[in-house]
Amino acid sequence: MSKRRMFVKMITASLMRRRSRMIVALLSIAIGATILSGLISIYYDVPRQMGAEFRNYGANMIFTANDGSFTAADMNRGAADIDEENIVGIAPYRYENVRIHERPIVAAGTDPEGAKAASPYWNVEGEWFKNNGEILVGKNVAESFRIKVGDLLEVSYTPGAKSDDKEADSEATSQEDEVVLDNTAYLNVVGILDTGGSEEDYVYMTLADLETLTETSGRIDVAELSISATADELSSYADKINSTVPAIHASLVKRVTASEATVLTKLQALVLLVTIVVLALTMICVATTMTAVVAERRKEIGLRKAIGASDKSIIQEFMGESMLLGLLGGILGSVLGYVFAQEVSSSVFGSSISFRPLLVPVTILVSIAVTGISSLMPIRSATDVDPALVLKGE
Amino acid sequence: MFGRMIRGTLFRQWKKMLMIAFTIALGASLASAMLSVMLDVGDKVNQELKTYGANITVVPKDASVLNDLYEVEGGSSGIYLREDELGKIKTIFWAFNIVDYAPFINVDAQLDDGSDVTVVGSWFNHHMDLPTGESLDAGVASMRSWWELEEGSWLDEQASGDSAMEAMVGTALAQKEGLKVGSTLNLKGSSADLSLKVKGIYDAGGEEDSQIYVPLNTAQSLADLDGKIDSIEVSALTTPDNELARKADKEGTSSLSVAQFETWYCTAYASSICYQIQEVITDSVASPVRQVANSEGEILNKTQLLMILITILSLIGAALGICNLVTASVMERSQEIGLMKAIGANNSAISLLVLTEIFITAIIGGFAGFFAGFGFAQIIGRSVFGSAITMRPMVIPIVAVLVVIVTLIGCIPAIRMMLRLRPTEVLHGK
Repeated sequence: MSKRRMFVKMITASLMRRRSRMIVALLSIAIGATILSGLISIYYDVPRQMGAEFRNYGANMIFTANDGSFTAADMNRGAADIDEENIVGIAPYRYENVRIHERPIVAAGTDPEGAKAASPYWNVEGEWFKNNGEILVGKNVAESFRIKVGDLLEVSYTPGAKSDDKEADSEATSQEDEVVLDNTAYLNVVGILDTGGSEEDYVYMTLADLETLTETSGRIDVAELSISATADELSSYADKINSTVPAIHASLVKRVTASEATVLTKLQALVLLVTIVVLALTMICVATTMTAVVAERRKEIGLRKAIGASDKSIIQEFMGESMLLGLLGGILGSVLGYVFAQEVSSSVFGSSISFRPLLVPVTILVSIAVTGISSLMPIRSATDVDPALVLKGE
Repeated sequence: MFGRMIRGTLFRQWKKMLMIAFTIALGASLASAMLSVMLDVGDKVNQELKTYGANITVVPKDASVLNDLYEVEGGSSGIYLREDELGKIKTIFWAFNIVDYAPFINVDAQLDDGSDVTVVGSWFNHHMDLPTGESLDAGVASMRSWWELEEGSWLDEQASGDSAMEAMVGTALAQKEGLKVGSTLNLKGSSADLSLKVKGIYDAGGEEDSQIYVPLNTAQSLADLDGKIDSIEVSALTTPDNELARKADKEGTSSLSVAQFETWYCTAYASSICYQIQEVITDSVASPVRQVANSEGEILNKTQLLMILITILSLIGAALGICNLVTASVMERSQEIGLMKAIGANNSAISLLVLTEIFITAIIGGFAGFFAGFGFAQIIGRSVFGSAITMRPMVIPIVAVLVVIVTLIGCIPAIRMMLRLRPTEVLHGK
């Protein structure tokens, strides 16, 4: 039997013979490793996952025209400068003064899907508008005209009126004597919009409907973008767009970006500190367990010494044993930790966590190191003992 | 005799017992730290989310519609809130949850070159002595935390008085008009002409960049609107909406039963705080700003859930650590127990002895751990949120029960082993 095989056999035999005790030790190492890998995955994923939650605050970048207005093509060109997977929603808006019951109301034409993604906080009583022919009415407008969900709303627009200017619109209709025929559309009220903000004073329809109504197309006044990215990434996107697409000016919605940065930093710091405290405490727990496990084998160490084992070989064997435990615990912990992080992520954020391959070797190395270091101390003190005394039971 | 034996173990084997106590203390400190942080994280994050600004706005009844429909300018629709009622907001049931608020009045004015500009009057750092004896400093300086001060400083009524001839100018307007800190700004209002000194230039990243902010009374005197305000923005700590709050929102408070109404009224939902504000401010409509109120709820819920799960994981970790060590340390004493059995001790006496020893150790360790854990929680609170974590009484029983149960479970395998122990074998050294 070669020396190495003997070494391996001694280690495995001692693990197998003291099975129940070793399982207990292994379990504590595995728990430590689980906490390590689980919490670190969560720590790294919190900004991304929480960032997605912060998108509830709505758009954090807006495109405005450098010169009057811009087209959908400009908007898409600007959006192309942003990594596609980071875009949560893009909503183009075009505002026109229309008349409802002969009173001027601001109507916005947009892309329903985009608006919903970019402004998830909009609270709609009834249904969200989806198709042409449907209209979403702001709460204040609905209250003053007593509009209910299901009504058919007559929306009219006077072509030729300068729509950018509120006063100009009403003056144009009253002053010009020649009869200008109004364009009229009948739209289905599918929902009443409640936001607590100025949106309650507007009505929302699809861009196509507004373009038919006004008989002009291709114009966008503002585009709202909801992008999941850090404040630095956002400003670099904005700079890039401003330099590549001359028609639009991208700017950050400071209120949203600045506040998000503050809160996210705090949250991540919280998870980091919690991770450190939990880790430190579990490491100490693992260490005390290992100390106890080694300390109770003083007799065995004494016996080995008595039959001629050198201190070095004893230390080697015991370290080999505890490192093997550390390795097994680390592997087990990496798997359990990933499962835990996944569980947390899916139940808290409803999305899966990304697997970090680097975390596996780190977890295994740390658990080997912790078990090794924590058993080194008691082994050293055990080898210092006089075998005769230990065996005699003193 | 029993007492002597226990004392004997505790004193003679103090090293071993100390280790058990240490592990239990670690576990208990982990548990109490995580529980304290978890229970407090909602409040702390809620405070942080206040950087998003007001979550409730108060406007006069029907004003917004009137403004829009008849296109009356500068809010001269004749409907205003009363400035003298502002203090009442801090007297509602949930007054304690109102962290900040500020009144606003918009007036139109003309600059020297004839261009129109919107002048906003508000509080900046307004000091209020409340009827309750407390005092509150409120205003836009804290409610517009995202504004970047490009130059100069915030206005401060406490330093220069309520109707100081000072102004803050948005960066876009400042660039257009070539204004700098210290320059004089002549405003021609509908009832008075004022010349103000520019104290600061801000970048708000929104339409405020082309407006002028002045103290409330200064703006009122521009348009002869003494004692009148357009709107109030309120920043309140709220509880995320649940079924009850949604029902109250959707179907109106009249749909609630008396008991439901009471629960709703006495919970800090955004909608119930709005309701209470409407009760004290004459002819007002208070509504939650959905952008802020809804998102706050989401983020709060998520953070709390996250912390709960992390807490559970660390509790399991702490429990297993304690279990392990208790098991290991009891098993170590098989020889001693074998001897006791040999000289006639019965199983129940031995179990009682071991349990008592362990429990005394556990209580000492648990106590130390609880306070250490509270210290950890404070470190976390201080370094992350810059404020102390409130001590919740409910943490004490939870940690106590946890320590007891975990120690008991840790003893079970050891005691089972002891009962099976055959004295001859143990004493023989097998």
